[in-house]
Amino acid sequence: MKRKSELVVPLLFLAAAPLVVYSVQRVFLHTPNERTMGTAFKIFFFHVPMGWLCMLMAVISGVAAYVQLRRRSRTAAAVALAAAEVGFLGGLGVMLTGPIWGHATWGTPWTGDARQVTTALLWLVIAAYLLLRHFGQHASERLAAALAIFGAVNVPLIYYAVKLWKTTHPTTGVVAKLPPEMWATFWPGLSALLLVSFGLFAIRARQLVLVGELDDAYVRLEDSRA
Amino acid sequence: MLHLARVRLLRQSLLLLRSELRQELRDLELVLTSTFFTLVVLGMFYLSFAALEKKHTLPAVPGLLWLTVAFVGTITLTRAFDREREADTLRALLAAPVERLAIYVAKAGSTLLVLLVCCALLVPGLASMFPAGQVFWDMPLETAALVVLGCLGYVAIGTLFAAGLAGGGGKNMLLAVILYPVTTPVLMFALVTTRALLDKNPNLPSYLGQMAALDVILLGVGALLFEPVLVGAAPARSAQAARQHRREALRAAGRQEPR
Repeated sequence: MKRKSELVVPLLFLAAAPLVVYSVQRVFLHTPNERTMGTAFKIFFFHVPMGWLCMLMAVISGVAAYVQLRRRSRTAAAVALAAAEVGFLGGLGVMLTGPIWGHATWGTPWTGDARQVTTALLWLVIAAYLLLRHFGQHASERLAAALAIFGAVNVPLIYYAVKLWKTTHPTTGVVAKLPPEMWATFWPGLSALLLVSFGLFAIRARQLVLVGELDDAYVRLEDSRA
Repeated sequence: MLHLARVRLLRQSLLLLRSELRQELRDLELVLTSTFFTLVVLGMFYLSFAALEKKHTLPAVPGLLWLTVAFVGTITLTRAFDREREADTLRALLAAPVERLAIYVAKAGSTLLVLLVCCALLVPGLASMFPAGQVFWDMPLETAALVVLGCLGYVAIGTLFAAGLAGGGGKNMLLAVILYPVTTPVLMFALVTTRALLDKNPNLPSYLGQMAALDVILLGVGALLFEPVLVGAAPARSAQAARQHRREALRAAGRQEPR
């Protein structure tokens, strides 16, 4: 018999499936074009949820890394890595869609404003974390945890630093206030993305925990043979 | 009690710092390699950017300064902890009856000193190579404060990660990979402040104060995380590590590894 926790992932995906179909058709067929940006504005419905997902996963990873350092918990280590991987994918989506949107509306893919630079640097920290977890030697998990915590601490600092830095540069582009029907399209899309992401996150975290348990079993087997 | 503990920490830090410096003074390895590297980078920058007009060097000089600090800092930190690993003294240091925080303070202190020696070449070098850097001569005190604060912030983070990487097999390529994204805020603050210095901005003291505040935050986080990171990085305790040890032992014994 399956454990209850194993039902979580299928349930997440089941809940996400109709939402994905609904929000995609709503974005392209039933949401009016934005007045100044036109069709290019549709990318908003993909770009912003992915940005939020990236931030959310970075925070989850940072908190899990802290727990991992304090309690020496392997589950927390698995959660931190899984969250960072999903956050990395979200960030990749942001870094790909952002310049496309910027090119269409501002005429330039990169204006270097505080939010852009902060997101890009956060994404770099997540990438560094993944590199360290995958290629670092066996004891680097705790170092990676420190990196995740530092990454989380850095986000407000970077934002502030870039704002200071930008005082010597002109700023461009402000996203206008959104009408309610746009938000009505936005929320189902965000929910769909979050459900799918948490499903993937749960699968990966569970897989990582299993890897740890398998290692333990291997060591026990060797011990019993010796 | 708290006061006593603080005095003890300070004494231990000074003791360890003195031992670091003594070790360095024996062969000057870190100072010589780092200053030579600084000169090489300066030379490369000169060859690349000597043709720039003054108005273009103004935004370039802060970047050149802090990029060099970032590069030199990485090689200094790598080498400082490589030395510990080669002699297997990091473990001895951890086993010694000293506060772990004192180890952090001593390592950060010695690295900071090496970086400052490099900056003593770097800043005059930039000042004489690029017309925009003339301000460094005109405002020596502010320049010194800026360099010390910038290097301190960099070292506060760098020591933590270099120490963490020094524990195991030593994949130092990773140090640059993780250090540059994490040190961006401090380098960015330093860039902004340097720019303000070059512009003779009246708000310069406020910028310097913000850098000092950032340094305090970074030192705090570094000190807080140093022990958990380093103690975890020393002896292998995880199952994965145990498995690796076992495999190596099996291989050494010439037995077939089970699948």
